[in-house]
This record gives sequence, structure tokens and C-alpha cells, in this order.
Amino acid sequence: MWDNFPTLLSGLSGSLQITGLALLFGLLIGLLVAPLRMSSRPWLSAPAGVYINVFRNTPPLVQLFWFFYAFPILFDVSFRPFEAAVVTLSLQSSAFFAEVFRAGIQSIERGQWEASKAIGMGYFTMMRRIILPQAVKRMVLAFFERAIELFKTTTLVSTIAFADLLYQATVVTSQTFRPLEVYTVVAAMYILIITAASLGVRRYEMRLARADA
Amino acid sequence: MGYQFDFTVLQPYLPTFGRGLLVTFQLAGVCLLLGFTAGLLLALLRSSRIAPLVWPSAVFIEIFRNAPVLVQLVWFYYAFPVLIGATMSAFAAAVLALSLNTAAFSAELFRGGIQSIHRGQWEAGRALGMSNLTLMRRIILPQAIKRMIPPLTNRAIELTKMTALASTIAVPELLYQGRLINAVTFRPIESYTVVAVIYLIILWAGTILVNRLERRLGESD
Repeated sequence: MWDNFPTLLSGLSGSLQITGLALLFGLLIGLLVAPLRMSSRPWLSAPAGVYINVFRNTPPLVQLFWFFYAFPILFDVSFRPFEAAVVTLSLQSSAFFAEVFRAGIQSIERGQWEASKAIGMGYFTMMRRIILPQAVKRMVLAFFERAIELFKTTTLVSTIAFADLLYQATVVTSQTFRPLEVYTVVAAMYILIITAASLGVRRYEMRLARADA
Repeated sequence: MGYQFDFTVLQPYLPTFGRGLLVTFQLAGVCLLLGFTAGLLLALLRSSRIAPLVWPSAVFIEIFRNAPVLVQLVWFYYAFPVLIGATMSAFAAAVLALSLNTAAFSAELFRGGIQSIHRGQWEAGRALGMSNLTLMRRIILPQAIKRMIPPLTNRAIELTKMTALASTIAVPELLYQGRLINAVTFRPIESYTVVAVIYLIILWAGTILVNRLERRLGESD
């Protein structure tokens, strides 16, 4: 089992790579989708709403299979498991991030908007100087929570044979015939990483709450 | 994008999709019942003042909230039977993993709901001479459950989404049947699109229901 630990670590690095890339692209696409969703023009906000709801209301595994098995034929491209994983998880995260951005911006009290307009600020100046600086602070927490969820979701890519931590566990199990030891160690690795991250987020949350009080 | 869609090839397989959907609902239903019951129990243990009860339940909740669901599923299917020295059907492993996961998440929802009830209610109940259990059953839970309905419904939607993972250990639910149909028809686009649309309809309807519930319960408060 311990001889195979490097295999598991290489899997962990695969999991982290996918998490990082999906986080980055998800954030960027989310930043594009959120303003569309909040637009007062229905031909912009309706498609954005459908996009967000489709990705939030289908199982991530179904999305992954669709992008791995169906999408390449439809658009005549070829996807390696890595690319299918990054595309799926980026789009899925972007839908969640778009809602995080929207909730953050809409949580800023009306008075702030009215006051900015009253002193003659344009929409973009108001966003940049008044609304976003306050909203971003509220979004950071949701961002970290989402990042943790995303890391959990990366386990799904093992089903399309991308060599993430869970997939490597399957490989090591088939070599050692020790499912109990291997899967328990891998589960413990996930639990350790995610619990540490959650504790960090919780501590940060308390600090924010104190700063607000 | 010159692909010719042909959904008619799937027509003979409609009953197969139907059977898959039925298993999805069965799995979700059983896990919902077991998960919420165990979740309520865990919440009561976790908020009791008896340390030997509080710690184990807190650790259990943390572990099952923080481990990825697929890892739990794989663990219960491949590792757990070795541990207990017995075989386990895929459906039983899925029920165990998804119920315990739901229990851990719903325990925190129950606990939040119970704690949200004003202290005065507890004090008044005690002043009337009610025991903790009676107080819980007759005063606290009826109020707390009303507040918990939207988050618990949300949890039920999440659970339904999670049942798709059971396809990886060959539980014949909707996604698994979709994969079989794809293997027979060589029509991945049509097969997986139909599966995605069925999930989308069910889960989106659920989301709309939660939003309505939230608004209505918000008004009545």
C-alpha cells in the first residue's frame, strides 16, 4: 500500500489541477453571465437564466457524460478526459458563480444605489467605486465554499478515466487487491484536505462577522 | 455541426428510461426517509449536553459532510463489505452511502432550525414543568419544522441529483439505463440528452417549488 503512495499523490495533483482550472474559467465565465442575468433586457436575461438553471438542475455526472460522449460528436471535436472534465466543471461552476455574483450585488442596500445616482455617478462608476467593493467582500466566502464543493465534484472525473485521486485508488486497488485499506486511506485524504479547508473558511467567516459588528 | 438528430431510434427504449426513472425515485425516496430520520436523531444527540453523545455525532457529521459523495459510495460498495465480511448489493451500498450523507447534512439543518427557536419558548416550556422531550415534541419541533421545510426540500433535490452517482456502481437508475441504451443504439447525443432533459424537468420543478415555499412561509412569518 505505501509503495503505491506516489501513485495516489500523482492522482491528488490531477484533482487539484482540475479544481484550479475549473475555478479560474468558472469565475471568468460567471463574471460574463451574471451581468447578462441581471440585465433588464429579457433577450439577454432569459438565455442567461436558462443557462444557469440547466447547469444547476442536472446532475454533474450527467453533464460530464454529455460533454465527454455527446458533445464531441455534435461539434466534431475530440475531447480527452482532461478536457471534458475541465469544460464540464468550468461551465457548472460558472452557473453557480453567476448566482453568487448576482446575490452579492443585489444584497447591497437600495440606499447605496440611490445615493450614488443622486451624486451623479454613471452606472459603471457606481459599480466600480460603490457597489462592487462592498459586494466582493460578501462574495469571497461563497467563493471559497464553492471551491471546496468543486474539489469534491472532481471525484466524478474518475468515471471517464481521468487519473484523479479516486481513479488512482481504483488502479492501486486492482494491483494490490486491498480495497478496504486503499479506499479508506483515500477517503481519509479527501476528508483531511476538505475539513482543513472548511475550518479555514469558517475561521474567515467569523473574522468577517466580527469586522462587520 | 452537420449532425442529424434522430430521437426516434430511442422510441423502443422509452420503457427502459421509465424503469430507470422508477429506480431513481425509489433510491431517492428510501434515502430521504432514512436520511432525514437519522439526521433528526443526530441533531438531537449533537445538541444534547451529554459530551459522550455530542462528540461522536459531531465527528460523524463532519466526516460525512466533508467526504466527496462518490468516495463514500465507492467505499461502501468496495471497502465496507470486506470490513464486515459480507457481500452487499449495489442498491444497498447506494442506500447506505446516500442515506448517511443526507443524514449528516440534514442534521445540521435540523440543528439550525431547533436553535433558531427563541430561548423564551424553552424557558416558558420549562416553567410549565414540561420535560425536555415533551418540550421538544410539542413546542420546539412544530415551529422549527416549518422553518426547515425549504432547506429540507432543497436537500431532497440535492439527493435526487446525487442518485445519478449510483450508476457508477451499476445501480440500474436513470443514468445507468441511459448508458445501456447508448451502448445498444450507438446514439450518445440522443441518449444522454434525453437523460439530461428528464433530470432537468424534475429538478427544475423541485427548485421552483422550493422558491415558492420559501416565499409563502416567509409571508406567514
